[in-house]
Amino acid sequence: MPELKLPSAMADLRPALGEIVGLGSQRAPYFSALLSSRHGLTILVDNREEQVTERPPAAGTVLSAFDGATNFERAIGGFTREEIQKAARDFINGISFQRYMPEAQSEHRGDFVTPVQIDPMELSVQEKLDRCREVQRRVKGRDPRIVNVRVMYRELNEHTVFADPHADLAQRVQRVGMFVIVIVAGPAGDVRYDVLVKSGSAGWEVLSWSDEEIQSVVDGALALLSAERIEPGEYRIITAPGVSGTICHESFGHGVETDMFLKERARAAHFIDKVVGSPLVNIADDPSQPGSYGSYFFDDEGYMAAPTQIVENGVFRRGITDRYSAAALEIPRSANGRRQDYSRKAYARMSNTYFAPGTSRLEDMIAQVDQGIFLDKWSSGMEDPQGWGIQVTCHYGHEIKGGKITDRVFAPIGISGYVPDVLQSITAVSNKLHMDGGTCGKGHKEQVPVASGGPYLLLTARLG
Amino acid sequence: MLNQIVDALKQRSDLAGWTVRHVQTRGTQVYAVPQGIESQRAVDGERYLIDVLRNTSTAEGSPAMGSGDASLLPGDDINHAIDQATLVAGLVANPVHGLPGPAAFPDVPLCDADLQKDAYTVMQGVMERIRVAAVKHADVRLTAAECFGEIHTTHLVNSRGIDAEQESTQIDIEFVLHSQKGDRESETFDAMTRRRVADLGLEDVIEDHVRYTLDSLEADTPASWQGPVVLRDDALTIFMAGDNLNGSVIQTLASAASKYAGISPWEVGGPVFRGEVKGDSFTVWANRSMPFGSASDRFDAEGLPAQRVELIRENEFAAFAASQRYADYLQIPASGAFGNIELPAGKTSAAALLAEPHVEIVQFSWFNPDPITGDFATEIRFGYLVQNGKRKPFRGGQLVGNYMDALADVRWSAETGFFGTYLGPHTARFNELKIAGGSE
Repeated sequence: MPELKLPSAMADLRPALGEIVGLGSQRAPYFSALLSSRHGLTILVDNREEQVTERPPAAGTVLSAFDGATNFERAIGGFTREEIQKAARDFINGISFQRYMPEAQSEHRGDFVTPVQIDPMELSVQEKLDRCREVQRRVKGRDPRIVNVRVMYRELNEHTVFADPHADLAQRVQRVGMFVIVIVAGPAGDVRYDVLVKSGSAGWEVLSWSDEEIQSVVDGALALLSAERIEPGEYRIITAPGVSGTICHESFGHGVETDMFLKERARAAHFIDKVVGSPLVNIADDPSQPGSYGSYFFDDEGYMAAPTQIVENGVFRRGITDRYSAAALEIPRSANGRRQDYSRKAYARMSNTYFAPGTSRLEDMIAQVDQGIFLDKWSSGMEDPQGWGIQVTCHYGHEIKGGKITDRVFAPIGISGYVPDVLQSITAVSNKLHMDGGTCGKGHKEQVPVASGGPYLLLTARLG
Repeated sequence: MLNQIVDALKQRSDLAGWTVRHVQTRGTQVYAVPQGIESQRAVDGERYLIDVLRNTSTAEGSPAMGSGDASLLPGDDINHAIDQATLVAGLVANPVHGLPGPAAFPDVPLCDADLQKDAYTVMQGVMERIRVAAVKHADVRLTAAECFGEIHTTHLVNSRGIDAEQESTQIDIEFVLHSQKGDRESETFDAMTRRRVADLGLEDVIEDHVRYTLDSLEADTPASWQGPVVLRDDALTIFMAGDNLNGSVIQTLASAASKYAGISPWEVGGPVFRGEVKGDSFTVWANRSMPFGSASDRFDAEGLPAQRVELIRENEFAAFAASQRYADYLQIPASGAFGNIELPAGKTSAAALLAEPHVEIVQFSWFNPDPITGDFATEIRFGYLVQNGKRKPFRGGQLVGNYMDALADVRWSAETGFFGTYLGPHTARFNELKIAGGSE
């Protein structure tokens, strides 16, 4: 069983948090302390060089005082006990708090650690580098048109301690990811690439690659050398799980972060208990999902992780919350109060967001499409919670003709449309769920690790 | 602690070179929602970043170089961190490269003097100006705003004798304006990063966004379009310089790292366009010495002084932007971090570039072309179809095309502007771009 392994300065400060919270609680209606350390490692191996770099750590303490109207915070780099104790005394002096009675909370105490089979913290850098080299070696000689193969390993180690009058919690969340990027050049010197990613809140056990997977990324890159631009228009499409997840993430993920309700930025606020999609559509956010890249045990506001059913059989049920928006809107909490790191405030943020699987078989779904597009891979997405417009860019897609996927490739492909129209058009949902890990911003900042996913979906959308 | 780290590094005979940076940040953050101030934060941070180089050898026995790094918080174990970085540096065998030596560091203006003195008061003032500018308009409401002000200090020392300091300020603001007419709602969002409050142009920016918010209430999905597309100000800045999630295509293809990796096909002296250049000839600089540029500095993370590098001259590729490592690999001059994008003034008045008909894109959802191929299919958040003396607002549709092909057929305005990461013509007319609309 992996251990908590708090950084030593954090472990030294933790026993003093009860006293610090007690000090703050004498004046503030609600007071909490968060110790947050996020550090990591990146290894890059390609045909021409290797790099091993530490991810610059973001480590610090957040003292929060909340009076129901304003959240006052003092964020201090590091975990120096005397400095934190002094800050706890000083920063709430001079603040005129409003009268506020925090909602009654149950007691939560415990230490939590991501279960891993091959613990990255137990492997040496040499061992990790050798594993990356081995993957790179397996890919690079597969075709003479390959000009480079990049294998990138990313490891993120998060340690969090949270204390308030009702909680004393600690967690170590271990996230890993590996990218295999194949870069090829055509006869005219045109460069194309394809990427394959594996990730999880897990250890190295999730980073193994079959020969078929490796060949698929080589084939994907080579196919892109003859890719065409798609004729803009409305198409029957089948989305691969990563594309399904991105649609989900940008529509009823960002669109139901309830801080956006508070800011009058989310159209979904007017659609609670109303139909927003086909009856086949079920969407959830679940930070407690085992192994997914966006998982955690408690959020940055000390709320214990649990699933939230967002859309149920096509009906929008509820959003995901941080403490502030839940209090202001007087709605139930969910465990989605997340920070980029100690230097930023908590917002309502997604964790693992996905379309739930249905009952259809992929082969049957493809057979239903006479003329359409199979969208293989996503590359980016952007939210529009107020306008409910959707932008998902796909790295490439294949033609479907006569119920079969052909070799004809289009790239890149943008999906656009009005979110309820897109969700209403879903006519089949496959029976297998797959999650993709990644990083999500709020607008153009506030990056947090998340996963999104789903099954294969059959729907209609505008492509360009 | 910096002196202790430097002393410890000087004791290491197993290192071929080292750099240490002491980075301190202090700042204030204000967040507003319709009900009032949601959050008020004071933030401090301090860390030491160590990079080391170590002589290694390839499997064939040729001389090679390894690099490693480590970060420390105040009070952390210095020798342990250096040991870790040294250990990692011993694991890899890259081509031999070095560190920059001492140089004259230009005195690039990077600070808002008022913010340096009192960030809290300055950012409260910025928030109040946003509120006052928005409240003038009864039919538009400010529903969210964020104002961050930070002061960054960096002290860099390396084994070749660089010992330099720089201080910079950074202001990040976001705001959301909302309007409603019957059942129709609209919003506009803007985010800006500048070094000085004076460069935000707050009142003018909010006036523009008030107009966009109100016009957005009347916006429909556009019909498909092929023809002139105009970008101005912020939209043009995002097109040219990217945003804080993505750099531009130029940043990727003009990078020595991309050249070394086989990603960039550009060759010095060769054309950057694959076809005929139908518009104005194209020249661009990567400029870290631009006064108050968001990506300006006196020196970068390696200690290379700020430079203004001509990347493309008259449609021909002129130079790669190269860190010391990739400069050594490719045997080219080191220019350091990329910096801001600068273009020369064009030859046509902005007024002439706005000749009808055209489509003006005011805001993209996220302009993110493929950084290598330059292909894009990006949703339009808001724009206008300008013809027959009318500006018809629209939302949605996708701008479809290729980045470098678009730059091969564009005319630039004679009037210029400064937009944080971009200095150059404030208006560009792309002569032949395609919009995939919601209806044919």
